[in-house]
Amino acid sequence: MGSKANKPELIVNGKRLDGRAFDELRPLKIEAGVLKNADGSAYLEWGNNKVLAAIYGPVETQPKHMAEPTRAIIKCRYQMAPFSSLSEHGRTGPNRRATEISKVTKEVFENVVMLNEFPGSMINIFIEILQSDGGTRAAGITAASVALASAGIHMKDLVYAVSVGKIGEELVLDLNMIEDNYSDSDMPMAISPRNNSILLLQMDGGYTKEQLARAMKMAVDAGKTISSIQKEALRDVYKKVAERYESV
Amino acid sequence: MKNIVVPGELLEERPFRTRNTYVEDGKTYSMVLGLYDKETASVTPLEGTWIPHIDDTVVGVVSNVKNSVYEIDLDFHIRSIVIGGKYDRFEFKLGDVIQATIKDIEEKKTIILQYPRLLNGGSVITVTPTKIPRVIGKNNTMIKQIIESTKSRIVVGTNGHIWINGGDDALARAAILRIENEAHVSGLTERIKNMMEQKM
Repeated sequence: MGSKANKPELIVNGKRLDGRAFDELRPLKIEAGVLKNADGSAYLEWGNNKVLAAIYGPVETQPKHMAEPTRAIIKCRYQMAPFSSLSEHGRTGPNRRATEISKVTKEVFENVVMLNEFPGSMINIFIEILQSDGGTRAAGITAASVALASAGIHMKDLVYAVSVGKIGEELVLDLNMIEDNYSDSDMPMAISPRNNSILLLQMDGGYTKEQLARAMKMAVDAGKTISSIQKEALRDVYKKVAERYESV
Repeated sequence: MKNIVVPGELLEERPFRTRNTYVEDGKTYSMVLGLYDKETASVTPLEGTWIPHIDDTVVGVVSNVKNSVYEIDLDFHIRSIVIGGKYDRFEFKLGDVIQATIKDIEEKKTIILQYPRLLNGGSVITVTPTKIPRVIGKNNTMIKQIIESTKSRIVVGTNGHIWINGGDDALARAAILRIENEAHVSGLTERIKNMMEQKM
């Protein structure tokens, strides 16, 4: 995206542009069950990213010819709001990029949702990017995972996603928009924390074998933080009600 | 003591399989967001859609009438029908609220109902189907308590629809919605009892 000619200095005095260390995440905040009409929902703020995820389902499959008699199907729509970004992603309607991200997100969740529990039905995942600052597909998957759990969908695990990039020879975690545009490499990953199996791995640029191993380790280490925030968001909804009575 | 568990959370190092858990490599994990009771080794889901079982009582709205077959709206992902036989003496109109029992569940989730009964007047409220066991209570204690103090007629459908008619129906409605909201907090029976005594 960015050209080499006008590439800014991304690492200054051993720190990144926004003052983070190489393996530091942006501040992450998740709230579950924010939409009343949806079966499950989550609102996520990850740095400057703001994402709303909603789940409708399981419902009867529409159109009917797509229904599978033995399992459920998943439909996913990732979309950026017209006001979410500075310029390029701000068009309405589906485009090439949104279609691609919808597809890979759907495939992530097909691996963790217990599809056999809901034969003949369909689960709709809607991911709406309200404000974007790099790494929105990772943010979208992290939010959708919490939303699916809050909808009571049977799943094997709470998936999280995070990206690892390369600036020069340094590996950096959780790229923001500027780093994403001008970095030498960018690799978003979706991981199932129970056994660290990888459900999504996309890569721009390249890594050496050692760098790839190190990048995966960085993602898994950061995942512990992300996972605990996801679980806390789900528990908080019920704890708030419980605290009102247990403190009395 | 009940803990809130999330999908993928390790419950026990030994394998046991119930409705909301799964086993992998000899260990048991939770499949849903729910409450885990260590003594009975069971996970009760906190959210979720209705899973029908035979002999469940349901409350629904007649949505289609064809000769002697009635389609009943129970839930979004499930189609249900009542088939009137030669000797059955019931006749419903579009929009009637009925109570019925599940006779059979066919593939592709078509449910066949039996013993339909018209529920005249009153109003229907909808709660999350996973909270219905708390609304009914152990040995029907909770619902009996509400019926006794409000003098309302209440029919609880396992699909999440609850029909209320007569008596102090506003109080009954408030009590049921409160049970839905606080189903996971222990001491619920006491609080509902207090609520009933205060309003009387």
